[in-house]
Parts: sequence; C-alpha cells; structure tokens
Amino acid sequence: MPRSKARAAARPKALSAALTLPLLAGCEGAQSALAPAGEDAAVLATLFWVMLSGAVVLFLAMNGLFFYLTRIRVQAQSETVARWLIVGGGIVLPFVVISALLVWGLSILPDHRQAGDGLRIRVTGEQWWWRVEYWPEGATEPVISANEIRLPAGQRTELILDSAHVIHSFWIPALGGKMDMFPGRETFLSLRPTQPGTYRGQCAEFCGASHAWMAFEAHVMAPEAFDDWLAAQAGPAQTALSDAARRGAGIFTREGCGACHTIRGTEHIGVVGPDLTRVGSRTTLGAGRLGVSLDAYRAWITHTGDLKPEVEMPAYDHLSEAEATDLAQYLRGLE
Amino acid sequence: MNDESNTSDRPREDEDRHAFAAEAHSLWRITFAPTVWALHFVLCYGLVSLSCAKELIPIATVQAVLTALSLLALAIIAWLGFRSLRQWRVLVTGQLEHPEGTPESRHRFLGHAAFLLSVISAIGVIFVSMPLILIGGCQ
Amino acid sequence: MSADKAALPPPDRRPLGPYPPTPEMLAEPVPEALQRAQADRLRAAWRTPKGWRYWTAVNNTEVGKWYCLTALAFMLCAGVMALIIRLQLAVPDNDLVSSDRFSQLFTLHGSAMMFLFAVPMFEAISILLLPGMLGARDMPFPRLSAFGYWCFLIGGTFVLVSILFDIAPRAGWFMYPPLATQDEGPGSDIWLLGLSFIEIASIAAAVELIVGALKCRPPGMRVNMMPLYAWYVLVVGGMILFAFPPLIAGDFLFELERSLDWPFFDPTRGGDPMLWQHLFWIFGHPEVYIVFLPSIAIAAMVIPTVARRPIVGYSWIVLSAVGVGFLSFGLWVHHMFTTGLPSISLGFFSAASQAVVIPTGIQLFAFLATLLVGRVTMNLPMLWIAGALAVFTLGGLTGVMLAIAPFDFQVHDTYFIVAHLHYTLFGGMIFPVIAGVYYFFPFISKKMLSERLGRWSFWLIFTGFNICFLPMHLTGLLGMPRRIYTYPTGLGWDWLNLISTVGAFIIAAGFLVFVWDLLRPKGKQPQPPRNPWQAGTLEWSHDIPEEAWGVRSIPHVTTRYPLWEQPGILERMDAGRYYLPDAEEGRRETLITSVIDARPLQVQRVTGPSWITHVAAAFTGGCFIFPTFGYYWPAVVCGVFAGMAILYWLWTATARPPEAERKDVGLGLSLPTYVSGPDSVGWWAMWITMLGDATAFASIIFGFFFYWTAQDDFPPDGALHAGAGETALAALALAAAWGLVLLARRWNRHGAVTAARLALAGAALTAATGGGALALAVWPLDPTSHVYPAVICAIALWICVHAALAVVMHLYCLAGSFAGKLTPHHDADLCNVALFSHFFVLSSLVACAVIGLAPRLI
Repeated sequence: MPRSKARAAARPKALSAALTLPLLAGCEGAQSALAPAGEDAAVLATLFWVMLSGAVVLFLAMNGLFFYLTRIRVQAQSETVARWLIVGGGIVLPFVVISALLVWGLSILPDHRQAGDGLRIRVTGEQWWWRVEYWPEGATEPVISANEIRLPAGQRTELILDSAHVIHSFWIPALGGKMDMFPGRETFLSLRPTQPGTYRGQCAEFCGASHAWMAFEAHVMAPEAFDDWLAAQAGPAQTALSDAARRGAGIFTREGCGACHTIRGTEHIGVVGPDLTRVGSRTTLGAGRLGVSLDAYRAWITHTGDLKPEVEMPAYDHLSEAEATDLAQYLRGLE
Repeated sequence: MNDESNTSDRPREDEDRHAFAAEAHSLWRITFAPTVWALHFVLCYGLVSLSCAKELIPIATVQAVLTALSLLALAIIAWLGFRSLRQWRVLVTGQLEHPEGTPESRHRFLGHAAFLLSVISAIGVIFVSMPLILIGGCQ
Repeated sequence: MSADKAALPPPDRRPLGPYPPTPEMLAEPVPEALQRAQADRLRAAWRTPKGWRYWTAVNNTEVGKWYCLTALAFMLCAGVMALIIRLQLAVPDNDLVSSDRFSQLFTLHGSAMMFLFAVPMFEAISILLLPGMLGARDMPFPRLSAFGYWCFLIGGTFVLVSILFDIAPRAGWFMYPPLATQDEGPGSDIWLLGLSFIEIASIAAAVELIVGALKCRPPGMRVNMMPLYAWYVLVVGGMILFAFPPLIAGDFLFELERSLDWPFFDPTRGGDPMLWQHLFWIFGHPEVYIVFLPSIAIAAMVIPTVARRPIVGYSWIVLSAVGVGFLSFGLWVHHMFTTGLPSISLGFFSAASQAVVIPTGIQLFAFLATLLVGRVTMNLPMLWIAGALAVFTLGGLTGVMLAIAPFDFQVHDTYFIVAHLHYTLFGGMIFPVIAGVYYFFPFISKKMLSERLGRWSFWLIFTGFNICFLPMHLTGLLGMPRRIYTYPTGLGWDWLNLISTVGAFIIAAGFLVFVWDLLRPKGKQPQPPRNPWQAGTLEWSHDIPEEAWGVRSIPHVTTRYPLWEQPGILERMDAGRYYLPDAEEGRRETLITSVIDARPLQVQRVTGPSWITHVAAAFTGGCFIFPTFGYYWPAVVCGVFAGMAILYWLWTATARPPEAERKDVGLGLSLPTYVSGPDSVGWWAMWITMLGDATAFASIIFGFFFYWTAQDDFPPDGALHAGAGETALAALALAAAWGLVLLARRWNRHGAVTAARLALAGAALTAATGGGALALAVWPLDPTSHVYPAVICAIALWICVHAALAVVMHLYCLAGSFAGKLTPHHDADLCNVALFSHFFVLSSLVACAVIGLAPRLI
C-alpha cells in the first residue's frame, strides 16, 4: 500500500511537467491545491489532472458532435446509428468511465483519516481564530498555541478538530483536503506534509462576519527543527524585557488584557482569546489578518473591529500612540 | 387515425380503477426497479450508521450482510427487467418505438420504460455496492 | 330533506355514447351559425375581467404570465445582488460593502435564485403552457394557482425587501445552525417564515400540476403519447412532494428553536446541527434536479421541432426523467462530504452521485440522436439550446469530478463549486428557459421576439458567462473559499477575480438586451403565424388573436404530434367539432379523463375570477410575516381569518351539487358533471397533498431516530417521559375518529343521513379529544431543557395541529350535510376527508408509538 502511494505521489510530477508546464505558473500560490507540498494533496492533484484530461476529451467529443450535426451534416441520417448513439453514449461509455473512476476514488477515500505517526494536534475553531494544542506522543499535557500550525515534514500528524460555537472548516490546500469543525462533536483528519515551507490555511465554512479573515499559516519543518521548536514553545513566556516592553506589560495588565489572554509565567490566565505566550514568534497577527510589523501590532490593538468585523476583542483606540507602541513592543517581544 | 374506427374502446364508469387494475402490473412496474434501488440504498446508509455511530452491530457483519443484500437486489432487478422485457416484446416484434394510440402500444411502452429503468437501477445498485467492497471499517 | 333524496336511486355516472369518435362523426361539418353561437357563449364564459377587476383573473394564461414576470423580476433583483458581490470582489481588500451587507447579499442571492426564481419559474411556465400542450381549457384548480401566485408575490417581496432595511437573512442560503439559530435580529426568521410560506405555495402548484398532467389530458392521449413536457411535470411534481416537506419539517423545528428556544440544533442541550444539514440537503439536492428537469423538458419540446421529426428514444427520455427523479434522492450527502461521516457512508453517496450521471447523459444523447436523424434548421431557440448544451456538459463533467469524494475534500466550499453550480444552473436552467421564452413567446403573447436582439443577448450572455465563471474553477483550486467578503492580495486570486467581475457585467448587459426585447412595446408588430416554428404539439393550435378559452374544442388525440400526424385536426378543433365546443350554462368547464388511457370521465366545472384568493393569500401572508417580528397574536388572528377565507372559498366554489347530473359534451358523448372519490380531481389533489404532508411528518420522526443514533444518551437517563395513559388515550381517540369518518361516509352513501351526521359530530369530538389527550401527555415536559422533550413535544404539536384541522373538516362536512352541499349522492367532500383521515390515523399511531413506546424500549 505505501509503495503504491509513493508511486501515485511521484506520478503527478512527471505528468504535470509534460502536460501542464505553461499552466504551472498560474497554479502556484501559498493556498493552492495545485501546488501540493504533502502526500495527501499530491494524490488529489493527480486525481484532478487525470479527471481534467478526461473531461476535456469528453467535452470536446460531445460538443463537437453537436456542432457536426447542426452545422455540417444537417441532412437526416440513419436511425440505427442514432439508437446506438443513445446506448453507447448514454449507458456504455459512462458506465465504463465512471466505474473506473469510482474504483480509484473510493480506494483513496479513507486515506485522509489514516492513523498518524504519533503527534496529535487539537484545533478548535473560534470566531474567528484557531485554538491549537500540540500533543506529542505520550504527553500528559499539551503545548498551547494559537493561529498557527507547525508540522514535522515526512511524518503523518493527526488533527482532532472541534469548534466552540459555530461550524468552521479546517483546510490547508497545499497539504490536503478540508474537514469541518463542529461544536459538540469531534472530527478527525491526518496530514503528511513532505516539503518544508510555509503554506496558508483558511476556514472554508461560512462562520459569520469575519469568515474572510479566519486564516492561519502552516509551517512544515524538518522533524528535528520541529522538535526543538516544540520544546521551546512549552516553557513560560520570556521575562527579559526592554524598557518599552516593560511599560507595555504594565499597559497589558492595566487594560485587563489578561481577562481574555494567557501569557504563561505571568498572572494573565484568560482563556477567551488566543494564548499570547509566544505571540511574537508567530508569522501573522489576528489569525492571518496582518503581518507582524510593529505597525501591524499597533493597528490590531487600536482598530481591531475595523480589521475584523464583529470580533469579540474591543478596539483599544483610547491608548495614546506611545502606549500602543509600548504594548506592541511587549507583545512582539514574546518570542 | 387508424384506431378511430375501433369502437370497442368504450369508456367505463370506474375507469381509473380498472385501468390501474388491468395495468397495475405494468404502470407500477415502472417504479419497482428504482424502488428496489432506493430500499437497498436506505438499508446501506441506515445499517452503516447504526454500526458506525451507534455501534450496535460490528461493521464487518454489516458489510457482509449488505453485500449479500446487494446480490439479492440485483437478482430482483434482473427478474423485473426480464419480465418487462417480455412485456416490451421487442425480441418478438423488433419494434423499438410505441407511439400509436392503442392499448397495446401503451402496454409495450410501459414495458420498455420499465426495462430501461431496471438497467439504470441495476447500475445504481452496482455502484452503491462498490464502497462495501472497496472500503473497510468505519474510518 | 336529505333523507328524501336518499330514497332516489343513485344517478348514473357512467359516460354514455360512442367513444372513440369514428372518422364519419369527425367528418360531419358543424353549421356556421352554430359555430358562431357556440364561440360567443364560450368567449363570454371565459372572458378575462376588465379594468381593475383584471387582477381577479384566475385563468392559467393570466396567472401564468404574472407568475413568470414576477419570477423574472425577482431573478433580476438577485442578479443585481450578484453584481454588487462581484464588484466587491473585483479587487483585494475592497471596502465597497461591509462584511455584514455582503453576507446579506450572498444569502439573498442564493435564496432568491432558488426559491423565488428557479422553482417558481418552473411552476409558472408549466401553469402557462401545460393546459395548452394538453388541449385543456385551464388547470383543474385555477383559484389554487391564483392563491399560490399571490402568496408567492407577498412572500417573495417580503423576503427581498428586507435587504433595504438591512435586516435580511445573513447566514447563507443553507442557514446552517448554530450560526443561523444564534444570529441576532430577524434575518433568520425572515428566511424561515418567508420561504416556508413560498414552499407551501410551491407544493400547492405541484399538486395542481400533477393532477393536471394525470387527469386533464385530452381524450385518447394515453401515457405513451403525452408530450414529454407533461412527463417531466409529473416527475418534477412528484419530486417537489418528497423534497420540499423535509425542508418544511426542518423549518418547523428551526423556528421552534428560534421562537421558543427548543434546542433541536443546540449541541449544549443534546441538539445536533447535523440534523439540519441532513434535512436541508434531502431537500437541497433533489431541488437541483427539480430546477434542471423542466428545462430539459423545454429542450425536449424544441428539439423535435428543429429536427422536423418526432423525438428519438421517447421511452429513453421518460426513463431518464423517472430515473433521475429517484436517484436524485440518494445524493444529498455529497454536500456534506467534509462533515466527517464514516468513509463507507460517503462512498454510498459518492457512488449514487455518479449513478445519476447515466440517466442525465441518456437525455442529452437522445437529443443528439434526434438531431442526427432529423434535418436540422437552426433557429434562435435552438441557438440557446446549443449554448445550454455547451455550458451544461461542462458543469456536468465538473459534477462527475466533485462526486469523487476525495477531490471534493479539496474544492468543497471554494470557488470551484461556485463555478460548477453556475455551469449546471445556467446550462441546465437559464439557457433552456430563455430558449423556451423565445420558442413559446408567440404562444404566450401572440407576438414575436426580435431575432437580432435575441442573438445579441445570446452572445453577450454566453461569452460573459464563460468569462465570469470559467476562471472561477482555477480561483477555487488556488484556494479561494466561498462567501468571503474580501481577500488579501498575493494569493494569485486578484486577476482571476477581476476577470470574473468583468464577465458578470457582460452577462448583465446580455440580460438587459433580453429584458428589453421581452418588454419593449410591440403594438405595431404584425400578427405572427399561428404555428411559427411548424411544431407538432397541441399548444400550437392556439388562437391568434388571443382567446381566453384555451382551446375552441378539446380534440381526440391519437398521435404524439397531432398537428403533424392527424391531418384536419386544427380545422375540426376550430370548428368546434370535438368535445366541449359550447358553454350553454355560461360556466367554465374542462374535461377530466382517466389516468392511463385518457378516456373521458367527467365534465369538471372550474372556478372563475374572484377576490377571495387575494384575501386568503393576504391573511396567510400575515400569519407568516407577523411572527418574524415577534407579533404572535396578530399572526394568530391572521391565521384564523385565512382559514375562514379558505373555508368560504371551498364552500362557495367547490364540489357543489350541479343543476343537472350529466351533460352532452359533443360527438354524442354524455358525461357526468359531478363525481366523487378517486374519479374526482379533488380526491387526487388530497391524495397528493397528504403524501407531501406524510413526508414532512416522516422527516420529524427521522429526527427522533437520528438523535437516538447520533447520541449516546438519547433519551437521557432518568428523563421524564410523556404520560403513557394520555398517549394511549390519544391513540384510541384518534383511531376512533378515523372509524367514525369511515362510518359517516358509508351511512351517508346509504341514505342514513342522520346517522352520518351523528358519526361526523362524533368524529369531531373524538379527534379533539385525541389532540387534547396528546397535549396533556406532553404537558409536564420542559422542551427547552433538552432535545429529547423538545422532539417529543414537536411531534405532539404536529399531531395536535392536524387534529384541529381534522375537527374543522368534520364540522365542514357536517355543515355541508345540513346545507344540502353534502348529500348521499354528492359526497366528494366526505370522500376527501376520509382520505385525509387515512393518512392522519396512520401518522397519529406512529406518533403515539414514538412518543409513548419508543423511549421506554430503546
């Protein structure tokens, strides 16, 4: 089974190189299902290219026949041919084509839920961000993060998905298919990324006003690098702070940010919003909404609702520019 | 036009009931084969749900039972198809279209339609049975 | 007084006289003077009201036209919403509309296109065309069509206007809970109640169309000779009956959650959002075929005309329609491939989704085969059909891809789906419908549309469509999800979206040309020929200038294409040689024939212009619209008035004993004017309606077992059950009510009128007792606490409402008996009520078993 899968994963490269070189440029993109970086996505991309080729042939045949009959040979022709056309085109051809396609499709259908190699990640959909827990094999308590997924390359990771309030859908197109996230019910997905890199994921099920801004980045890392990163993530937040950051920490406490956010190693243990212990190490802000420049942090703190409609976090627009900068410095420094 | 001289075609009081009774075996037969498909489909979906969601029956048992049921459904559809093929009488008459305004033409038309629906239903049952063989377990 | 009548022998209701007519009878000329006199009387009976009374018209040609134009107007509104959506998405990070407004726009765009355009358009076109194709004078229940239309107008306007007040529904056209149930503001209620109201109107239209296709065919038109359009109407009508009720049941549960906080879809109290997805898509997928099949039916009318020969593979097309009708109910989970159901279950639906390709393909190949054997003359309608074929095959092929579940895991809820569904709906609905408009326009308005404008609009819409939607396949594969109000730059989506927006405006330009062509004044245009395309089916026997009578006389049909294959038929129809050429009593009448062989059975008096339909529709509207804003008492008052209006309408206009028991319908044939039971159209309508009602009830029962399957603790340990004694009493009383109705029918028929009245009164009493007992049984439960008591109470509520209906029906019959409307020989009302009782007793017993027994056993 694994060998056949490896072959299936190898085929698209040869195939796409031959057939679709000019198209390839248009298929790239951090969120593209046609630029696969994992085993699951690669199989599905092959499936697509094969089906597309078949569809193009059938489309041309059907419409070509129509054109021929209405524009080129308009005079009446044999009724026997017509009846065989119905039997051949209506029953025999689709039966054969579809049977073959079904055998292929059904045989790979359960693959996206096959067992993983040890690491499990629990992702909970919130409006509109992602609560993330890493459970390495044998762990008794998770490493908590948010709005970013990191995966070891070459290993199959299991994702346990659920949701807090409404239905979301977890999807990293470059790595594999999507899976819905329900409140009150767990769903399950496993992914085996192959190429280290950064890919974009996004919620695919309409979940309210800021559905458009519920995204995240998925970083596929070499396994050793991943292990190091996970070990570093587990500890409490950084305490060596610059002056500005120290002022920012004060503002964080004064404004009551800790009622919603946790920063491990401090008194802030809120669980309403994303865990900020290592927010500075992430590559996006506000679940894929913004980059991580100082300006982005400031904008997020002071214009939250404008950037993300109906978001629960209030905009701290009463902060002076200096205060906002200090707070941003503090958070940005939490690496 | 040619049948307008046929005056034996008199209307009767309880027309519908008679028409249904006389033709019940062919009018309703149109829907028999797809109904077998539908029952087969509902059983497949229902039993698998009971097995995977409610865990009442082991999935392997369900798959075996359903595979057997698929064969049974195919056999019933084949039998229905055979009967409607006889009603269609194409092998005897060689006639493929039944546009005439006669009871016989209508009778054979219904046979033809029922036969074709058996073919479609058989394909439906075959397709729906494929997951039973190709996919194992509840995953 | 009725007791005296009972002594009389029952009237002879057999058709008498020669049938079918001989060639000699048909060859006999009708005197000119008689022809003129008959035509004048017919014209008077069918005259369309003038002035402001025009709006009381119920004739299928008028109602059909209003229906089509209203659906078109709603479609254009939804189209404008689409343009705003496209403008917003033209460039990344756009802020033309807010996120909230955008959600309202796409929710309403989808809902309006589906519920206010696609399905009603089928009903509208069918109401307009079907009687013509069948050589009937009208639909069997003209006032029902009119009532349905006014409901549609009120409900549709209400739903659409909500966006002007910024309170439109905004949780997507699929209204997934918990997002939709938790949504603040009236949006979700507007969707639920407004569209439930229209769904009920749709079911009414389906009932009417099924009865029309089964019972109003011209004499001699056996099932193997029906125009293919009528076959499709039958299949689609049947699909509506089984597809809409699950959604209505879902709406019922949903609204109970919204208004009364019964937690059907709330996971914190045992509810399950998945139940809604199941109920919605059991409706939603057949819906796609409900939209698609009628358009194929239009193609099946156009193609033989273009090919100048009968369709090849008539039986094949019938088989495909019936086959698609069945298979389309096994596909619904392909909208739920990513919900985490077991792979093997997904496999079943994946396979069934592929199986439906085969009958769909057969239809297309039958059309190609017809073109192959015919001598094709391309005309404007055919150009649109050609466009439909090109667009639909592409949509169908992407459909085959999507039915492979693993591929769907990638593209589900992306722009690939948006592209796919628009390809199927434009190719499977918009293009064929416009082809139909060009083809049937001379029949509908007795004018021609412009060839030049038609070509302009075709090429604009066709190219615009492909520019707009072809790139979306790639947009989706590049990862763009649906329903996002904006997107960041840098993901490769920017230029694709811009191209799509440009395409959308080209489509809009094409529609402008089309609508202008449709609505521009055509007063000076010369009259078109009567049969401009030289078609072979009966609708082209229409009169120019227009006559409201439908057909001058109802022909005897012996071929599939009477105008091609029955020489002289047109002249004889015009001369009044065939059936019902006259209206001696000045009443509107049409012929009822048998289901399979279309032998004439009865002369049906059909209803004429009236305001009662408006009154009934307005109050029904109030009953659905007031609760949206939480005004429950006005809603109840409206409901009562609506009920009274409908009762008045039924009492004054349906199943009245006729002044003469039979009449001569021409060609020596004499038919009864009153029948009851399975011979009557009313009985069929009741049967079909109850089938839909039973489906809705079954959906709620499915809900009960769904919760049981999906949850470990259903019913929860130690939960309070419904009272066993009361439930048993309810079952007994409701069964007794059923027995009494059957006895009443029997006694009434045998002349024992007093006994029948007593039985009816008893039936009313026992039905009320049964409903009351069931209400008492569930009274102690708290439906807001958990889904178990909630679903039990919902089932009980359903039965209680039906018990109340049953009481009204029994009292109606009782009143009819006293007023002489219901007599031993005129018992259609009682037969219909008995039929209702059969269904009601079945559902009552199932309900009592589920409420009282099941929880104690499982």
